[in-house]
Amino acid sequence: MGKPGVFITCDTFADDAESASRDNAMPGVRRSIIKSSEFYKLRGDVKTIRPLVEGVFDNIIDAITTPLTLDEADTAREIKDDDGPDEITITAESFLAAIEELNQQFVEKRWSDGLPFIPPTPERVKWMLSGTTRSPHEVIGRVNPKQGIATIEKIAINAVMAGARPEYLPVIIAAMEALTDEYFDDLHILVSAGSFSLIIVVSGPIAKELNMNSGIGFLGHGWRANNTIGRAVRLATLNIGKMWPGANDMGLTGRVNPHTFYTFAENADLSPWQPYHAGRGFKAKDSTVTVATIGGASPMQNFYGGMIGTWTAEGILDNMVNDIIRTDRGLFMLWGVKGVGQYPGSGVGARNHFIILFPELAAELKNMGYDQKSLQDGVYKRTAVRYEELSPADRRGIQTGIEIGVVPAERKAVFEAALKPGGMVPVLISPENLHFFVAGGAPGCAFSFSYFRLPPYNRIAVMTRLVTGATLTRAGVIEGKNVPYGA
Amino acid sequence: MSEKVKLEVLNPRGVVEAKQANAPAPRLTDLAGKRVGLYHNGKPGLDNFFTVFEELLKNKYPTVKTNLIRGSFEITDKDAEAWAPQIDTFVYGVGD
Repeated sequence: MGKPGVFITCDTFADDAESASRDNAMPGVRRSIIKSSEFYKLRGDVKTIRPLVEGVFDNIIDAITTPLTLDEADTAREIKDDDGPDEITITAESFLAAIEELNQQFVEKRWSDGLPFIPPTPERVKWMLSGTTRSPHEVIGRVNPKQGIATIEKIAINAVMAGARPEYLPVIIAAMEALTDEYFDDLHILVSAGSFSLIIVVSGPIAKELNMNSGIGFLGHGWRANNTIGRAVRLATLNIGKMWPGANDMGLTGRVNPHTFYTFAENADLSPWQPYHAGRGFKAKDSTVTVATIGGASPMQNFYGGMIGTWTAEGILDNMVNDIIRTDRGLFMLWGVKGVGQYPGSGVGARNHFIILFPELAAELKNMGYDQKSLQDGVYKRTAVRYEELSPADRRGIQTGIEIGVVPAERKAVFEAALKPGGMVPVLISPENLHFFVAGGAPGCAFSFSYFRLPPYNRIAVMTRLVTGATLTRAGVIEGKNVPYGA
Repeated sequence: MSEKVKLEVLNPRGVVEAKQANAPAPRLTDLAGKRVGLYHNGKPGLDNFFTVFEELLKNKYPTVKTNLIRGSFEITDKDAEAWAPQIDTFVYGVGD
């Protein structure tokens, strides 16, 4: 900008601010620090926050008017995040002692997730790379917050650490391709105070070849592919993007599933429908990975089913519809907020829902005439609210949302027609904001995760990528450039 | 004495391209008569903070003119370029 400025930050975010100033190549940026313990308690109104502002006022003025030091003004220096040599040698009395020493060193350097890991020796990394035809030097993207370069080799090193097998590598690469896509908002999921998390869903025949659990306990432990694919993505993002809790990952509570995210497979054997990706422009026979950001500390809404009581498909649909109405109609007034990011409606207002249906339920829904597309349309219609039930603030929010582009141009006519007496106003922007996956066993439970329709720092937070370049499975052997798809 | 074991592993950390440091803009000598930009992301707590700050600023420097933006989490390059000619200095805070 070429203007002298000062950034206000809380003390608990001071390291994060310093890290961000280096990431943005201005380490000498002036910062004025206030205490979190005071700001978050006193910010409620101008009266309570006044003493805090009075206390920091002179410091802010000084930051604008005190000449820069030589160090702050130094433009000759290079900013580097140097993590040492490509190879690291540990010497110890025994192999087990070396492994212990390696684990301790890595976690102290913030290079591990806190669980024991497999040493990424050159031999094990070569073994891991045998799972893909892709060059170790191929760059697939950059990981926030430090824009670390994600190569196939770096992903493979982290996959070894996670305990993955080579046949999993193409799936891990596809997940990383989704996360590092130029339009995917990896920043919000990886470092936001909201402790957001990920679902990583494997669809298509490769899931079975990898022995992924898509039945009872599909989000749980005990299945190497489910657990280590997710852990490889966790470690690869941590090590390539270089974030750490409380330093530049400011997730306040941490994530509920911190080491593996929520990694599972669609249950192709028991699903009566085509896989999820068939509705997103891929062939049903393809193998894909879908990565989507979901909410933080309490990420799931339960629609029941299972063995606690009897269930009917209509009853579960009612629960699902009522839950979406209950949670999302309260957001109407926020449709009129321009958004916290660059795009209208980003990080606020209307949402995406990722709904996991157990196979018996999906079969019942099919008997009722539904496939995923007609179920999207059906739930979309049933979650609409009568115009007369909307408060004046709701109506203003929707109308403003139409005017400022929160409602995209292609959906404008739907809402203009609905926003009048007798109209039924959808609580979702589009049927495509409903994503249905079939997973679980018998009995099973239906539940959902949710997240903003648009993320705050980029364009999308749901992306499906093709699994390519596999050498050790029949599925995923497709060569050539990947075609990203995100909604 | 037994022979020591050597364990060689590959570095899992991503390479980050080195960047040349930029210096912040030179400071002002005085705020009297200056145009002060105030930027925050519109959350109520920060709105309260900046409301008080603006009041204190105008009390101390009656000739200061303020230019408040309730923007997004990150100001875009385009918005920053548009804002820059309207201000002489700025105070920036984003958060919840």
